[in-house]
Amino acid sequence: MTSLERRYRWLLRAYPCGYRADYGDELLDVLMDNAKPGQALPPLREAVALVVGGLRTRIITAAQGPAWVDGLHLAVVALTLVNLAVLIPYATSVPLWLGLSAVSLLLVLRGLPRLALPFAGLVAFKITGITMGQPWLDATLLPVFPDGLWQGPALYGNGGPVAPLTANLLIVLGLVILATRGERPKSRSWWWLAAVPLVAGADPAGLDIVAGSPMAMTRVFLEVALLSVAAYAGHLTADPRWAIAAGAYLLPASAVLAENHQFLQRQDLAHWGLLIVLTALAAAVPFRARRRILL
Amino acid sequence: MSKGSSGLSEQTYFVLAALLDGPLHGHAIIKKVVDLSQGRITLAVGTLYGALDRLAANGVITVEREEVVNGRKRRYFRITDEGSGMVEAEARRMQQAAAVVTGRRSLGATFG
Repeated sequence: MTSLERRYRWLLRAYPCGYRADYGDELLDVLMDNAKPGQALPPLREAVALVVGGLRTRIITAAQGPAWVDGLHLAVVALTLVNLAVLIPYATSVPLWLGLSAVSLLLVLRGLPRLALPFAGLVAFKITGITMGQPWLDATLLPVFPDGLWQGPALYGNGGPVAPLTANLLIVLGLVILATRGERPKSRSWWWLAAVPLVAGADPAGLDIVAGSPMAMTRVFLEVALLSVAAYAGHLTADPRWAIAAGAYLLPASAVLAENHQFLQRQDLAHWGLLIVLTALAAAVPFRARRRILL
Repeated sequence: MSKGSSGLSEQTYFVLAALLDGPLHGHAIIKKVVDLSQGRITLAVGTLYGALDRLAANGVITVEREEVVNGRKRRYFRITDEGSGMVEAEARRMQQAAAVVTGRRSLGATFG
């Protein structure tokens, strides 16, 4: 195998496994036929086209099965992930709940709603207790302050109980609906876990936008990136599953604003406006004509 | 032509035009598009196969047959009747659009 072929094979990993198994060699043949004698590096435009083509194929491949089930599962993944991430700065104070939340996320990612439901239910109950100042289920010292290295407010010390309740209610209800269906949701990529450290350290209530801390900005950047991908995926596939997930994510974010309207500043409204616009875009694009043959 | 009223991009137009003379495999499509466009359009492989997948999913082209060459699969793509109709309609549309300008020039040459 030449170094060029090895590099092309590496680039072809942008495509989903099944597609690679079916057509990877065919693409490789054409790539090698197009290569100049002695060429060792893929041309930049071929490399970019392979990566973009691979990602597009992944999105198209992901748009299979009932859209609402997949969208609901995706929403539960995102909300469970945020639930886990916000607990990380408080790890030494609430290790049990951090662990249960992590187990819940892993089971949700594996597409096992029935197994995830009791863990998510317990975490939701505990979080409700903390937001209401009640040490339910175990003797948690309230308020829960962050561990030494972390800066920030007490756990759910800002913002009130409505937003975390909304998020956890959505998680539990989503899992109940998914669990009552006979068909198991598909497994999600482990790459979702990479988002956990990016969200950890942001204010659980999401009221740190005004301060403009690196943690808050990282979370906003991640939100914008994922919602943009949702809109692009909806545009590419004319499928509403990503919009469903984006809409579910928007609900607790909106609850924060409704609950804290008297404290809101321009930056909070701008952030919410951004979420609304991107979610609306993700919801609108699938209504475009399905028949698109653009190159 | 970036994108015509039919929704065909220039690259898609040339891919479909390349298939009008009969089924071709990926590498042959790339070479024929270069010829037809007089070297203006060189398709990247990732771009071509993304387009072929979408065109096939829309019924504009279809896989005619598969051959195994050097132990590797090779698909030959054929344009469907619907695809032929689409690319011919686009050609007529462009011809009409071109006539708007070329017609003025010839009038200008006659009376100027």
